[in-house]
Amino acid sequence: MKPLTVFGSRFGGRVALNPEFVLERAQRYYLLNPTLRKVTRADFFYAGFYLGKVKNGIFFPSFNFLNILAPIAANKVVLDRKAAWLFICGRDIFRKGIVKLMGSQQRGDYTLVMNEFGECLGFGVVTGNLEEDGKVAIRNVLDVGDFLRREF
Amino acid sequence: MSGKEFFVNRYRQLGWRFREVEPRQAIRLNQANAKGKNLPERLEGLGVELEKVPFLVSGYWVGKTRVSVGATAEYLLGLYSIQETAAQIPATLFTALKGKTVLDACAAPGGKTNQLADLMNNCGTIVALDVNKDRLAALANHLERCHVRCCVVYGLDARRSSGLNLKFGRILLDVPCSGNFAADPQWFSRRTLEDVERNAAVQREILAEAVKCLAPNGEIVYSTCSLEPEEDELNIDWAIRNLRLQIQVVDCYGDDGLTEVFGRKLDASVARCKRIWPDKTQGFFACKLKKKEESQ
Repeated sequence: MKPLTVFGSRFGGRVALNPEFVLERAQRYYLLNPTLRKVTRADFFYAGFYLGKVKNGIFFPSFNFLNILAPIAANKVVLDRKAAWLFICGRDIFRKGIVKLMGSQQRGDYTLVMNEFGECLGFGVVTGNLEEDGKVAIRNVLDVGDFLRREF
Repeated sequence: MSGKEFFVNRYRQLGWRFREVEPRQAIRLNQANAKGKNLPERLEGLGVELEKVPFLVSGYWVGKTRVSVGATAEYLLGLYSIQETAAQIPATLFTALKGKTVLDACAAPGGKTNQLADLMNNCGTIVALDVNKDRLAALANHLERCHVRCCVVYGLDARRSSGLNLKFGRILLDVPCSGNFAADPQWFSRRTLEDVERNAAVQREILAEAVKCLAPNGEIVYSTCSLEPEEDELNIDWAIRNLRLQIQVVDCYGDDGLTEVFGRKLDASVARCKRIWPDKTQGFFACKLKKKEESQ
């Protein structure tokens, strides 16, 4: 549970998951409803709502977990259509593509990246250039385009 | 026994005249995720022409498109899935899926597993199996992309599913099959009748195992994308004679199942199966089965 709560706090949010229903297997975390928990054997490959994994001491969130964070995280940016597309193609975010900034946006802060429809596209790290055009404002850490990149 | 002429001649004997077809690409809206998001309008705004599939609640054919429908933000956010039109039918044949314990016995790459979860509105439990460990990662990716919450996946052969010691109210057997020419341009040069018979034998083993796991009053949906009757009507005829199963009437797109195959008469109830010859869709076969009552 600790990697999940620590990660959530970096967005200015407090993650409140019932530890009874969070299952850890091989440093991967899953959220299981009570019914699923009852039928899940130890040798599962995947179960319930995948939350993320710890690798070399670093927590890598799933998109499910980012969606859990989205309503509670303080730090968010909303992108225009073009910047949203570039972000899911793996690109960093420039100031001019940001429509709205919410929460703390200090250098090094994590921030969720949302599109104009309020859907979470991933997250990034604030680089500290939020007032300067032509410079990267938020460095892409994880975006939903990862689903395509990880399969090929 | 193989080659285009051999198989085309078989189809003619079964009452279908061969013609080349090019099934249209199709998508299925993930209703739970896409609710209130005006998804068809959003996709049309991206330059994707959509046409509603008249016989599917959530299916659309993709026409001209300026973007790849497998690489839009909407796809990556799990608002829709790319799923062949006929392949969208089997999961819709079950009655009352919500809250049920469901076995998806040959699940990878997971299109139908996601569809089941969507039809269940993530209420209930899906146990998804696949024997091919390499394909489990693709299945897991699909489940994460579509925000499925109610599924557990095991790397397990469907022929060992009774080892789970669970009883299932609904069982989907989208069994490994020989495929069909509409989905694979090289099909005629790849497949032989021996392949078909080998697959049919495995399918019978999977059917027999599924019956062991079926809860009282439970339903099995059996489907293949094969046009070969050994994998379709002949297997179902065998199942009703040997596994005390009966075929349920289903209301979906497709022709009635064949009741006479190469001169052999099958049980008349096999007509309740649905056979889809390639046309607007690829070739497909589906039916719904239940256990016979003890008194029958």
